[in-house]
Amino acid sequence: MTLGLPERAGTARPALPRAASWLLTNEFGLLALIVGFGVAFALGTPGFGSPFNLFTLGRVMAIDIMIGFAMMVVIATGGLNLSVGAIGVCSAMTFGCLSERAGLPLAFAIPGALALGGCLGALNGQLIVRSGLHSFIITLATMSVFFGVMVFVTRAEAFRALPAAISAFGKARYFGYVSPLLIVSAGVGLSLAALYRLTPLGREMLAAGASAPAAELSGVRLGRTYVLCHLLSGVLAGIAALMVVARTGAALPSMAGDLGQDWLLPAFLGPVLGGAALAGGRVSVLGAFLGSALVSEITNGLLQFRVGEFWVQTYLGLLLLIAVLLDLGRRKFLASIGSVAR
Amino acid sequence: MKPRLRLWLGADWFGPLAIILAASIGITIFDPSFLSPFNLQILMLATAVNVVVAMSQMIIIAVGQMNLAIGAIGGLAAISFAGLMQVWSFPPALAAAAALAIGVTAGLLNGALIASTGISAFIITLASLSVFKGADLGITRAQPFYNIPAEVKALGDTTILGPIPWLALPAALVVAGMWRLLNRQKVGRYILAVGGNASAAELSGVSISRTILWAHGISGFLAALAGVMLVARLQLGQPSIGDDWLILSFAAPVIGGAALSGGHVSVFGTLFGVVIVAVITQALVIFRIDPFFVQVVLGLLILAAVGLNRMREVRFAGA
Amino acid sequence: MLRSLKTINMIAAAALALAASATASQAADATKVALVPGGPHPYFAAWEKAGQDGMKDFKLGAADYRVPQKWELGLQNSLLESLLSQGYNAFLVFPGDPVGSNSTVQELTENGAPVIATAGCLKEPTTALFCFGTDTGNSAYLGTKELIKAMGGKGRIAHFTGFLVDPNTQLRIDAVEKAAKETNGAVTVVQVIADIDAPGPAEEKINAYLAAHAVDVDGLVTTAWVPAVVASNALRKIGDKRIKMVGIDHDEVVLKAIKDGFVNGTMLQNPYGQGYIGSYALDRIRAGCKVKKDAPFKTIALTNRFIDSGTVYADKDAVDNYVGSMQSITKKIFAEFEKTYLTCS
Repeated sequence: MTLGLPERAGTARPALPRAASWLLTNEFGLLALIVGFGVAFALGTPGFGSPFNLFTLGRVMAIDIMIGFAMMVVIATGGLNLSVGAIGVCSAMTFGCLSERAGLPLAFAIPGALALGGCLGALNGQLIVRSGLHSFIITLATMSVFFGVMVFVTRAEAFRALPAAISAFGKARYFGYVSPLLIVSAGVGLSLAALYRLTPLGREMLAAGASAPAAELSGVRLGRTYVLCHLLSGVLAGIAALMVVARTGAALPSMAGDLGQDWLLPAFLGPVLGGAALAGGRVSVLGAFLGSALVSEITNGLLQFRVGEFWVQTYLGLLLLIAVLLDLGRRKFLASIGSVAR
Repeated sequence: MKPRLRLWLGADWFGPLAIILAASIGITIFDPSFLSPFNLQILMLATAVNVVVAMSQMIIIAVGQMNLAIGAIGGLAAISFAGLMQVWSFPPALAAAAALAIGVTAGLLNGALIASTGISAFIITLASLSVFKGADLGITRAQPFYNIPAEVKALGDTTILGPIPWLALPAALVVAGMWRLLNRQKVGRYILAVGGNASAAELSGVSISRTILWAHGISGFLAALAGVMLVARLQLGQPSIGDDWLILSFAAPVIGGAALSGGHVSVFGTLFGVVIVAVITQALVIFRIDPFFVQVVLGLLILAAVGLNRMREVRFAGA
Repeated sequence: MLRSLKTINMIAAAALALAASATASQAADATKVALVPGGPHPYFAAWEKAGQDGMKDFKLGAADYRVPQKWELGLQNSLLESLLSQGYNAFLVFPGDPVGSNSTVQELTENGAPVIATAGCLKEPTTALFCFGTDTGNSAYLGTKELIKAMGGKGRIAHFTGFLVDPNTQLRIDAVEKAAKETNGAVTVVQVIADIDAPGPAEEKINAYLAAHAVDVDGLVTTAWVPAVVASNALRKIGDKRIKMVGIDHDEVVLKAIKDGFVNGTMLQNPYGQGYIGSYALDRIRAGCKVKKDAPFKTIALTNRFIDSGTVYADKDAVDNYVGSMQSITKKIFAEFEKTYLTCS
């Protein structure tokens, strides 16, 4: 038994054959939905399958996936980070300041911006650990503070004269279909998967999320773990924000909405659809990847179908509801046949 | 310390009230127009709507959950109210009743899903937030309903007894009603019990599902009421009503001493929390301080409030 | 199990290929215009009718008014990209951001769709053909001068204006300042409140401001639709007609306030003309016309390829016929448009 991790994380004795139990996983379900919707959209509309649309879809997917990752790493430890949007915008504006105002080359501006994201995240972590309060209320407060300070410092003015390289990166197109942003997201995804599977730190994070007391008894330093996970969340939010900057070619304070609120829905949709438990201790990086991808795909497809731009949100909400209900049903079914839920 | 004084100092509403008095005195010294009738009217108008929003969230905090959808429910109710009057010529009273019914139904839907599936309120209300907001925008195509009947506009505009706006009346009724509910009514006691310790409550015979339904139904009703009041105040049916309710709806109860884990809220503390926010916002305008600062101040207030609550929990345990 | 997965993948690939080829072989000769504002706002409502009329009059394939759900650049960009994939091949765009929209506009033009920045300009260099809109700086300037006249040449002005993300806002702020400076100190701008082009913030901030500082101002100039409405209502409530005001656009509330004497006048813009003439221009471009390099463009802060869609000050006497005034401006611009700005071989 490793570190008090729940049985369900890996030492399963399935009552079903291997392949069949994979079919019942969340990830396969998401993959099937992605393919299914993809075919339906491609056949149903003239534009969905065009190289240009798939390229722009991939680009938007990449950003939503990163935002989902930023929330996922905090959900893993049983917490929430409502300030992902605010931290992201602060990172982006820092990048703008460093590269436009201070004239630093990208090699310094990008790490600088990400470092700020990490610091803000670490600040969240420290506040949470020191006060012992729930991360919901702390990050609700810091979301206001971070955003407010950012707006005050920048006077809500955007950085519009960024180096051409960054928007070129956003516009680049490989093989006619693939955006480099998507490659970055996939790379980050692989790193996160490695973090949780292979490194002690990753396992400690999951342990802390699954059962904090048990983890502490097993020697996990909870305080350090929480701070590190929020730091990671801040860095990931920064990467997402830089991707947005690459796509638009400018660093705008309004990029994530008021207080960064616009990022909250995509931040949760991906990981939750992907099977992360809000209580912590269980995340699926692949699931979060596929979950965000599915949401982006459906949004894109609905637009193609001329479903009024305004009704898209309703469909997304219904999708989330159906997904959690299906997941509940799936787990109940698996429990009833004696297999262990994944 | 005298027992009565100790009781008061330990009360949730004492801190916020003290802050309000101190701030008001301070601001008035600098700028006497702060206490002018027109200014008081503005303060009361802002507070009236916001206190109903805060109560809507407070009742859910009491039961130990969070309701992310109050803004969306409020927006949907607001445009239904305005739309029924403009497009289908409903009389205002009927349209308001319909809007409130929509709010209750939305709340009950949330409650039913939460109670029957056991899925966390966070996820359910996140999903329903999208559904309702999408419906709100879809019906209105993001354009407000401009034709609000004169009686409704008057409700939002006129005052009684000097500077007290008409809208303060429903707000006062809500505050009184909530106090009675949580302190005198069975349902209120059940809500606090389930929020405090659900298993113990269940063992004592409280039906958890029913209690959750009650809480969410009330929350939906209050959210819809706030939406309708805002239509009267803004004098149009704006689909974006409710978009900025999230932070305030948590800030006020928390400043007022609510425990996010459930089981402990203070009605008057929440009321004073709302007043503090209104006073500070107004002060920033009076002193021509950068309005961007409001966000920072709000966030710091929340941090300070939860920090203080924590300390008080330790210090006055049992008071 | 794996085999059926492979089959699914093959079917999916075949379907995609089929759809892609269908797109390619589609004859796309008819001009399909998409009119896309930065977000929902009453100002653009006239674009919808303008597009419909343009489609009829110029025999276009389509002239559709499509609105992003919110005032968010990412949403507008996604919508534009989606519209391109849906087959629209000409765009009238109000930029969500003068620079942030350039990337997407460039992608549109690279895919063969001409773009005209409408009612708001993109920052040069841009691949948009030109910018067609109100000279907002000039409009704000003229409006302020009318206000100063109404105030008797001296006093203090408060300026309420639009979104900070709107490229026009800073132009308007500067223009009002300029008009005040020209009085050599007789008139000063004592307060600028921006970012209130939405009912909630406008109500809150304008009322709070007037509550605290009504005695400190003699005139209001509003250079955005929603603040104009809210300020008109506020002045009506105050009732003493001491504070003079010049508004903008043609909301019923503002027009009625002008007739009743609470507001002195309004600066009209020409959203209908922008949509109508813009659709026409796009169609001609797709038919082979080119924009004249030496056309008599105006130069404003963001661009040197600016075409004025017209603005006019309407006071109490002119208010009843405001539609007529704007229509005659539109007719005039339309009649001379092709001759002045395009070369058609």
